[in-house]
Amino acid sequence: MADVRPVRLLIAALGGEGGGVLASWITNAAVAAGHVAQRTSIPGVAQRTGATTYYLEIAPGSADRAKPVLALNPAPGEVDVMLASELLETTRAVQSGSITPSRTHLIASTHRVFTVDEKSAMSDGRVDTDKMLDVLRRFSKSSLLTDLAATARNAGSQLNAVMLGALAGSHTLPIEADIFRAAIRAEGKAVDANLRGFEAGYALSTQGVAKPAEIVPASAPRAENQLEARALQLVPKEAAPIALEGVRRLTDYQSEAYATLYLDRLARFTKQRAASGEFIRELARLLAVRMSFEDTIRVAQLKIREGRIERLRRESGTGSDALIRVSEFMKPGPEEIFSMLPPKLATRALAWVEKRGWSERSIKMKVSTTSFFGFLRLRLLAGLRWWRPRTLRYAQEQEWAERWLDLVERALVIDPEAAKGVVASADLVKGYGETMKRGLKNWTMIANFVVEPFLTNKMPLDQFANAMTQARIAASKDPEGKALGALITSLRALPHPQQIAAE
Amino acid sequence: MAEVSFHSEIKSLTLGKGETFRGEGILAVTKALLQSGVAYVGGYQGAPVSHLLDVLVQSEDLLSELGVHLETCTNEAAAAAMLGASINYPLRGAVTWKSIVGTNVAADALSNLASAGVIGGSLIVVGEDYGEGASVIQERTHAFALKSSIWLLDPRPDLPTIVRMVEKGFELSEASNTPVMLELRIRACHVYGSFDASDNVASTFSAKHKIPSPATFEYDRLSHPPATFAQEKHKTELRLPQAQKFILENELNEIAGPEEADVGIIVQGGVFNVLNGRLALAGLSDAFGNVKVPTLVLNVTYPLVPDQIAKFCAGKKSVLIVEEGNPEFIEQAVGQILRKADLNTKIYGKDVLPAAGEYTPIVMARGLTQFFEANGVAVPALAEWIAQTDAHQKEVAAALGSPLPPRPPTFCTGCPERPVFSAMKLLKQEMGPVHVAADIGCHAFGTFAPFSQGNSILGYGMSLASAAAVSGTQQKRPVSIMGDGGFWHNGLLTGVAGATFNKTDSVLIVMNNGYSSATGLQDIPSSAPEKDGRGNGLEIENALKSLGVPYVKRQRTYGVAGMMDTLRDALTSDEKGLKVVIADGECQLARQRRVKPAFAKMKAQGKRVERTRFWVDPDVCTGDHSCIRLSGCPSLTIKPNEDPLRTAPVAHVNNDCVGCGLCGEVAHAAQLCPSFAEIKVIENPTFFDRLRHRIAAAMIRLLGGNRASPAPVPAE
Repeated sequence: MADVRPVRLLIAALGGEGGGVLASWITNAAVAAGHVAQRTSIPGVAQRTGATTYYLEIAPGSADRAKPVLALNPAPGEVDVMLASELLETTRAVQSGSITPSRTHLIASTHRVFTVDEKSAMSDGRVDTDKMLDVLRRFSKSSLLTDLAATARNAGSQLNAVMLGALAGSHTLPIEADIFRAAIRAEGKAVDANLRGFEAGYALSTQGVAKPAEIVPASAPRAENQLEARALQLVPKEAAPIALEGVRRLTDYQSEAYATLYLDRLARFTKQRAASGEFIRELARLLAVRMSFEDTIRVAQLKIREGRIERLRRESGTGSDALIRVSEFMKPGPEEIFSMLPPKLATRALAWVEKRGWSERSIKMKVSTTSFFGFLRLRLLAGLRWWRPRTLRYAQEQEWAERWLDLVERALVIDPEAAKGVVASADLVKGYGETMKRGLKNWTMIANFVVEPFLTNKMPLDQFANAMTQARIAASKDPEGKALGALITSLRALPHPQQIAAE
Repeated sequence: MAEVSFHSEIKSLTLGKGETFRGEGILAVTKALLQSGVAYVGGYQGAPVSHLLDVLVQSEDLLSELGVHLETCTNEAAAAAMLGASINYPLRGAVTWKSIVGTNVAADALSNLASAGVIGGSLIVVGEDYGEGASVIQERTHAFALKSSIWLLDPRPDLPTIVRMVEKGFELSEASNTPVMLELRIRACHVYGSFDASDNVASTFSAKHKIPSPATFEYDRLSHPPATFAQEKHKTELRLPQAQKFILENELNEIAGPEEADVGIIVQGGVFNVLNGRLALAGLSDAFGNVKVPTLVLNVTYPLVPDQIAKFCAGKKSVLIVEEGNPEFIEQAVGQILRKADLNTKIYGKDVLPAAGEYTPIVMARGLTQFFEANGVAVPALAEWIAQTDAHQKEVAAALGSPLPPRPPTFCTGCPERPVFSAMKLLKQEMGPVHVAADIGCHAFGTFAPFSQGNSILGYGMSLASAAAVSGTQQKRPVSIMGDGGFWHNGLLTGVAGATFNKTDSVLIVMNNGYSSATGLQDIPSSAPEKDGRGNGLEIENALKSLGVPYVKRQRTYGVAGMMDTLRDALTSDEKGLKVVIADGECQLARQRRVKPAFAKMKAQGKRVERTRFWVDPDVCTGDHSCIRLSGCPSLTIKPNEDPLRTAPVAHVNNDCVGCGLCGEVAHAAQLCPSFAEIKVIENPTFFDRLRHRIAAAMIRLLGGNRASPAPVPAE
């Protein structure tokens, strides 16, 4: 009997994405086209948002011949067509050998559904998208790689229908497009939407993906007032857009005077030869962020800004005919509230709160920014900008900024590379309440036990830059600060420069 | 009512002679049961066999027409005991569950059933949850078959064979008065294929035609001494030979390939397709399973038929035994058979194939290559393929640099169980860690990031029992987690009754979400009585009180602060003995299936509807992601930061949000950050809604709402 070589197809999907429906559409179409088709899957608990796969084998030719023995497991290097609904899972399939250069036509959506590990990182834990795309192109025979999820959204359909269309358009299976369409109709659920998605996907495969519009180079930043003009002539051009944004941000945050302080602080570095354009850019960026620290006044200001409701409406996909009511979750604690008082008063108040053991207490508030009185409360709070420079928080933040800049300045003289690390360390100080305290604690530890020792020649200088990088990574590894503690202990173990000199 | 609707499948259960059945393996089994004239069916849900019960529960008309009695048993022990009906009566019965775990629970009843023996065919359909996609301990059901003398079928994973084995299984059971197990692996349960249907058969005696009078008293049918001693003899002296005779006469095992050859292969039916795939690659078979190496396919893996084995091995230099999992029972048995037959055919098995793990194509290929090369059969194609596969994996790993992050399953969007773990994580920060006894069910996802809680898992509904000695030997009270599924399955007696009886000083959280959710939303005794469901609204609280639990508190799960207070109280109260917190919150999966269509309908009808969802203000979010570390909700994700001054991605609530409120609750309870906003969307607002809105808007204008600063310009 003439041997047949079944067409082998693997679907990688996340639980709840309709991978099962996609698999059954394909099977039914294959059967309707007179082929022998077999599929299997391993749903299990993966149905609950985990990664899962569906494997199909289609033996071409009339179904009434002797039944072929079809496989239930995909074998590495033997998958002809791969359908994948998410970028990371597609890459996983390359790893397992389900996508190979010799054989596999790949149809994959390039959008990301982030894993918990990526989402919960304390700064940016995302896997490098470009690297994954390179791997997919390199290890597939041919491919359709584009954001199929977006295609589905635009077509007002589900992702699986778009993928079925893309499969039909790829002509990798011995099945006519109309037979796939019939399979969708036969299933009889959301037929019109699914057919829209199918056609959109079919077009992608047959006509190819439209090239993304060329990104027009940003026009040179233009100054709109004296202050901005000063910013532009002060910093190298790499840093210009950032410095300009910084000036605008801080003027809006506090005042022109405050923005002037920002530029004065930058000026301490722009003259230094060791300070590269990139160095100034990062310094300008983080200085602006830190100087626009989020106190209750700032938060209030941000929450009543114009266009916010429209944006919120847009991002929440709310139709224009619907009304929306917005309530903001706020929970200021003694820290937030009393640090709005002048330093002397504030410290006394906080000490009293401490004594009473009320430090952990805080006031739950749900303020509605779409109601008059809710808005009024925030408007009044935002109106307190003039008072800010008198507050404890302001004093603390300026003190912090000065210390940071001082460390950067001293580091720059000794080791520009390490100085970059000192600049970057400012990114650890962010957030509110507990998060803020933790960040500040970590930063202070780094300042006291890493930066200072190097600056005062208590640790071998050749380790400085590396130590700064390590410290920043350690600080954002775990909220408990275990990693950072361990690192500092290991740094202490380094041979003391004076000792080396003595030997 | 179950998650999946089997409307179309139910139709295919009514197919008759001359028609073609198309569907998944487990549904083919269901159809085969009906074709075998089964009188009663029962079982306990669990992947990969949940659908067998789900589809029957949904096809009660068909069942009543055939007079099939259906039970959704409260656990596997109940299901196994149900087969007791076939000890005294000529009734064919089938039960199903997830194995190995279900078989463990059923063990007591199984032993007694197997000892007494049956006169009505008794089939146990076990989903062998082994290998990729499995969610339980990796053990073999085979061991139970051996120790209790229950025959074990392991059919080739194609529908005609599976169906034939079901039908023959009943005959085998009756021919040897022994219960029979049909073992189906995960991929076999879900394999889609077709077979030629035959008519359904109604049992002579059934729910429709009831047995007029009970069986006469026969002491020998009791698994009770002295009968048990005779029964043990029967197992080996009567039933075993009868079974072996039947297996031979009906050719349940298949012998393929040439008569004469130096080497042969003995393989479990369930693993044959993987074997054939690799043999075909080696040029030793084809796509139709025409193997060129003598192959004995064991669709019955216990009992073996010594004559058959000996005959197959006679004249062969070596035989490879392809047997998944360990211990290698078949390999041991074959060795003994050959020894007794005085045959010196060399046996290969676990020496070339791994003792543990699924026999995937690559694993199979490595084993086959070793076997063939050791016996002077060249298989260049296989060797080359293995080399290519290894090379590919090295290249990819190099190209990627770092390993990819895992994607374990997790709580669904808006799951009511997630907030409990948020509360526990916050409480951990406040009071330090406590021993957490985890359990089986969706809540086991709490062991994954970002919650990473749980010190042990001892089985379904076993958490409280597993903490008994811990609570007796540890300064802090342990916390046990249990789902309502586990509570009714086992936890009520094994855990709660035991704890009250022993005055155990510990804390139990019962997740009261209303269904057996992890297995596909099956109803449980405490499920709300619905027209299409089987729930009868038993109250967990009453059950606890009636057992004399001194301390029972109810808490809505979404109120994280409240949950923290309740748990804090349970952990610190002076009250001795068991403290139970019932965590109330309906399974969101079930709720959305009900609410979404209703909402859409009302919206379409122009009725006023209000829905809630959450939003993160990207300008206020500082990109620390503490909120995600306390939630892990799929709809709470991240997106690139549009602010040119900031680099870390900001938290972002996507449009799958069902507005469960956890984000806000956590933001409050943890005093996180003020970037969360609750949005109430009012569709088809009334005149008064609009008026109120206009007035507010106008007054806000008066406050100069417009003078506030513009949003930051998007990054270039």
